[in-house]
Formats: sequence, C-alpha cells, structure tokens
Amino acid sequence: MTMTSAEGTPAPPRMSAFARKGGLKAHERRVGRLFLLPALAAFALVILFPFLRALGVAFTRSDLQTPEPVFVGLANFRAILATPEILGAFVTTAVYVGLATAGTVVLGLGWALILNQSFRGRAVLRAVTLIPWVLPSTVTAFVWGWIFNSRFGVLNAALVGVGAIPHPTAWLSTTGGAMTAIVITKIWFSIPLFMSFFLAGLQSLDREQIDAARVDGASNFALLRDHILPHLRPVLLVVIVLGVIGNLQHFDTIFALTGGGPVRATSVLSIEVYRRAFDQWDLGMASALGLLWVATIMPAAYFYLRHLLKGA
Amino acid sequence: MVELTRRDFGGLMAAGAAALATKPAFAQGANISFMSFSFAEDPNRPLVQKVLDDFKAQSGISVEAVGSAWGDVQKNLLLRQRSRTLPTTAQLSERWLPALATLPEIVDLDQAVGRAKLEAAIDPAVLAMGQVGGKTLAIPLITGSIGMVANKEVLDKAGVGVPKTLAEFRAALVAIRDKVPNSVPFAAVTKNPSAIPLDFMIMVWTHGGRIIDESGKVLVNSDAGRAAMAFMAGLMKDRLIAPELDRPDSRRLFAQGASGFYIDAPQARTFARSFSGKGEAADAFVLPIPTPVLKAGDTPRSIQWGHLVCAFKGPAMEGAGSPGVKWLEYLLSDAVQGGFAPALSALPVTKSAQKLPVVQNDPFFKAWAQATGVPLTNEIGIWSNGPELSTILSEEVQAALLGQKTSDAAVASMQTRMEASMAKRG
Repeated sequence: MTMTSAEGTPAPPRMSAFARKGGLKAHERRVGRLFLLPALAAFALVILFPFLRALGVAFTRSDLQTPEPVFVGLANFRAILATPEILGAFVTTAVYVGLATAGTVVLGLGWALILNQSFRGRAVLRAVTLIPWVLPSTVTAFVWGWIFNSRFGVLNAALVGVGAIPHPTAWLSTTGGAMTAIVITKIWFSIPLFMSFFLAGLQSLDREQIDAARVDGASNFALLRDHILPHLRPVLLVVIVLGVIGNLQHFDTIFALTGGGPVRATSVLSIEVYRRAFDQWDLGMASALGLLWVATIMPAAYFYLRHLLKGA
Repeated sequence: MVELTRRDFGGLMAAGAAALATKPAFAQGANISFMSFSFAEDPNRPLVQKVLDDFKAQSGISVEAVGSAWGDVQKNLLLRQRSRTLPTTAQLSERWLPALATLPEIVDLDQAVGRAKLEAAIDPAVLAMGQVGGKTLAIPLITGSIGMVANKEVLDKAGVGVPKTLAEFRAALVAIRDKVPNSVPFAAVTKNPSAIPLDFMIMVWTHGGRIIDESGKVLVNSDAGRAAMAFMAGLMKDRLIAPELDRPDSRRLFAQGASGFYIDAPQARTFARSFSGKGEAADAFVLPIPTPVLKAGDTPRSIQWGHLVCAFKGPAMEGAGSPGVKWLEYLLSDAVQGGFAPALSALPVTKSAQKLPVVQNDPFFKAWAQATGVPLTNEIGIWSNGPELSTILSEEVQAALLGQKTSDAAVASMQTRMEASMAKRG
C-alpha cells in the first residue's frame, strides 16, 4: 500500500534515524562478510600460507646439509623426473587409487542394493555397517595388520588350518600382498560412506518402474544396467570423484600397515612425500613432489567442484 | 537475536587474537626440557624419571621430560627446529649426531661445559662419539657396542652350542628352526630402515668387506658385500630369518624364547628382563657371544654404540651456571653414571663411574666386553646424509631378502645409489 499526502502526491518513505546506508540487505551482507573473516583467516593460516611456502621451498635446496634454503630453480623437478624410484610412486599411486576406488564403488553399491531390500534386522545391519567408518584409521590399520601378520595373523591361521598353504606367509612383505592389504583395508572402511551415498540415491528410485520392468521379465542384471545405474548416475559420478580424491590423499592406514614397503611396493605419493621430508629430510624434493601430488588431485577436484556448483 | 555492531565484532576479533598470542601455560612449570626416547620406553621410563627426580631434589631445577619414540626423535627435532620449539636437551643415538650437527641451534659443549672438564671426565675414545668436526656437540650418556646375543635356553632346546663360524651359525639356526616350533632362529631386523643397516653392516664386515670408507668412497659392491647379501638372502629363503621384524619385535621374540640369536646393544639384558616377565632371572639366558666369523681366526665384529645428550641454544643454556649446563654436568655425575647406565645394562661413560663396584662386579659387562671385542665405527651414521644412506641400504637389503632382486643386483644398485647420494652431499 502506497502512502499519499493530503495534496495527493506520494509522501517520501519514512526513514529511521538508525537506517543503514544501502539498506538492510547490504548491511547483512557486510556482517556476513565479517563473519567469514575467522574462517578465511584460518584457511589462510592453515592451508594457504603452508601451500605458498611449500611452493617456494619446491624451488630450493633445503635439506640437512643446507638448512637455509638455496634457490635452485627447477632442479628438484628435474631430479624427480630422473629418479626411477620416485617415478615409480606415481605408478603405485595410480594402481592403488584405481583398485581402491573401483573396489569400493562396486562393493559399496552391492551392499547398498542389499540394504535397500526389506528384511528383518535391516536397520541393525545398516547401523553395524557404519562401524568401520567410525573407527579411527590407525585402529583399522592395526586390526588389519594383525589379520595379515605373518606369525600370528588370523588369515595365516585359517589358511594353514585348512591346508591351503604349508607355512604362514608374510603377506605384507610381498609386493602383491602388501598392495592387496592396503587396498582391502581402504575398501573396508570406505564402504559405509559409499554405501550411504548409494542408499540415499536408491531411496528415490521409482519402485513402480522396477516392478513394471520385473513384470516385463527383466533379469536382476538388466534391472541394474537399465534402471538402477542410470538413476544413480549423478551419485555415481560424485562418489567416484570423491573416491579418487580421497584415495589420492590417503596416508594414515598405508603408513601404519606397511610404511610404504616392502621396499617401495606401497609407496604412494603421500608416503613418498613423507619419506622425503621426514626420513631423508630433503624438504626441497618433498615440496616439489608435494606440488606434483597436488597437481594429480586438481583435475578430480575441479570436476567435483564444477559438478557441485552446477547442482547449486 | 543479538545484533553485533562493527565495534563489537572488532572487539571480539581483538580478544581472540590476544588469546592466541598468549604464551601457552603448559611450559611454565619446568625450567628446562629433555627429549628422551628412553623415557618413551616402558621398561626404561622409571629409570629416567628417577634421574629427573634426583636432579630436582639436588638442584631445585625441574626438567620436563618429553618422551619420543626412538624412531621419531630426529623427525621431532627437525620439526621443532622449524617451529622454533626445540627442547633444551635431547637424547640421541650416536649415529644421529652428524646429521643433527648441521642445525644452527646446536650448542658447542666445549664452550658451554668446557672441553677440559669433559676430557678430564670422559675417555677420549668415548668422548669422540659426541664430537663432529673437532667440536663436542653432545655428551656421551651411556656407551657400549652392538653385537650378537644368544638365548641359552633356546640353544639348549635345539641341542646346539655357541657357534664360532658362519657355517656353525647357519647349522645352529637350522637346528633351532627344526626343534623349536614357531621360532625365528635369527631375529635379524628386516623392516625398519633405521635398524636394518646395523645387521647388514656386521655381516659385510664379517665377510671382510666395507660399505663406505673414511673418505666417503662407497665400497659395498665387492665380493665380500655380495657374499654378505647372498648369505642373508639364503637365511631368508630357508626361513632362518623372518620378514616384517623390527628391533622391538626381535627383543620380544628373544625374551620369550622364540629366537636363538639377535643383534643388539647391551640393553638386550634390560629388555629381556622386562619382556620375559622374569626380571633378573632372565639374566641366565642372555648370553653375549662373539659374532660368528667367516673362518676361524678372524676377528668378531661389533659396532660402536652409545646414547648422547645434545643441547640447543636458549636462555637455559647461557652461562656456566645455567640450568641446562648443570643438568648436563649432573648426567655425568657418578650418581647417574653409576645408577642409570648399569640399570640400562650399558656401560657408564665417565672414567670414575667405570671403576665403581656396580660396574666392575657385574659379570654381564665383562662377558659383553669379551664377546664384542673392539667395536668399529658405524660406517653409515658418521655422514650427514646418513638418513638417506640408511634408506637406500635398507631398500636394497629388503629387495634381496624378499626375492625382488638377486643379491648381486641389489648390491650393485646399492653402490650406485649410495654413490649418487654421496656426490650430492658434496
């Protein structure tokens, strides 16, 4: 409703003496920006500053012989390219990320499909499924470390018990065994998270569509291929990208289980950076390698952010 | 809803910043700090605590103990150096000092404590463990050697005596494997990059070779080096040593009668007492033996070993009567050297404490000294790039033991990589 004066001309809006310049919205925006400041400060202090510093250190020689960093240009990057042991870490990372992501997606989806069915005790099973995700990662690593232990491990006891192997095997001391162990461990504690994503996606699946397909004689595999997977496609994309990012960043259970060994069999980029920095104290090389590691994560992160922003 | 003005918000921010800038209160209770790996080891923690308590009672100065696992001490010191939070003093293994000597904060103890005072108290050969480039950068705390220990009970069970040559040693290992179920006959370290070099070094020396000479020339790719590697790989193939073993695992296996031999410092006795659950009764089976030799008449090999204490610059280390200097001097007193060192089953470093009855009358020390003979200097640890050399050596040894490379290929690769590391060091 518009206010008018006695002469019939519109009266100027009544302004409070405390009215703020630009109106309430502008004021709220300013306050909002101020509230952002602590988070921005924390980000700058904890992430941006160390990253920029590492960026600088990557172009220096900084080790025990040269405690004060000396600028060496691209020498560290050239050294990385000339060191087969370090280049091997990129291959190891690719193998680990590929296996762990694929394994978790397949098993997480399978488990979500099972938990999406109606059966007695489903709620309990859903809750129990979350336990591996809740456990601290070092606890997880020790649990699996004991399972794979060469002398006292459950796996060896079972296999020797049934006569599958004559002597206990040092699983964590073989190239294949150690990689398998870290992949299984990662899959085991990642399944609950992936399963939750898939289960949420499955909840919105049209049951009538599935029932109709069944009436038409569709097999389980056909249902999965033609109805469920297309429906879950957006979730699948997010889960795969998140899985790749998470597995590229992964460090703790690998370090606790194998320390990157035997030799370098499980030395993924995160472990390699750690070993360069804290075993050999070569911070220049560690920073250069760290930058390359970040570069491997960037495409997946970009894809994820783009997807997220598009959705928003 | 409470509305915040800009002034309110600014005040909150200022208060937050002030709170962050306030010095942490936790450090105010202690005068000085001591980073110690012995303090982080369950069997040894009470021994370190007693030294701290006695020092406080005597001087009124309290020392804050900072426990750090043995394998993490160098890392923690480096990180603390970067964040300007180095402890006043730190316990080191003797082989870490050359690498840490490059830290600008390390204190020259010839100046702080006095070279003459140190030389009067400590034998020059022992004091040399704490010296780099002619300067004393750490005081020796305990000393000894790294050699071989045998478990007498396990040997008896297997019906074998103390082996004198490598051939006899191998035969004894086979007997243990066959007669003592679930045992690791020789609990050699096969996992930890910091500890593998010691076992391999002794084997190379026993075969008559060297890894690196005093001038920095890498010599490992020799007949002796290749033979040593082949010997160890053969032990693994025949299940006479086991993968995935670190020194603490070896100590437990040995103490619990699941291993016949392993390589360690004289602290082996303390660990056996603790891990066997038998206390001093465990002394009966801890048998220091000369490392088996290649052929009769060869000299058994052992490695010089010791713990050091270094200091870092700060107010607590300024001046002769400073709390830090008093603490270091106290560590060299007969009270500590005659109590702490023997309790750790290690020899004291001071001349006066070495004459104390508690040391002179201990048959274990006599047996250890007789068994290990004259120890040689660690060939890897004396270099400032020692950590990188250790990693290279360990990776190649593991590769040979696990069958990823032939012994010859592993030794050749070790030579090439070590040469590159030494060249980079300059």
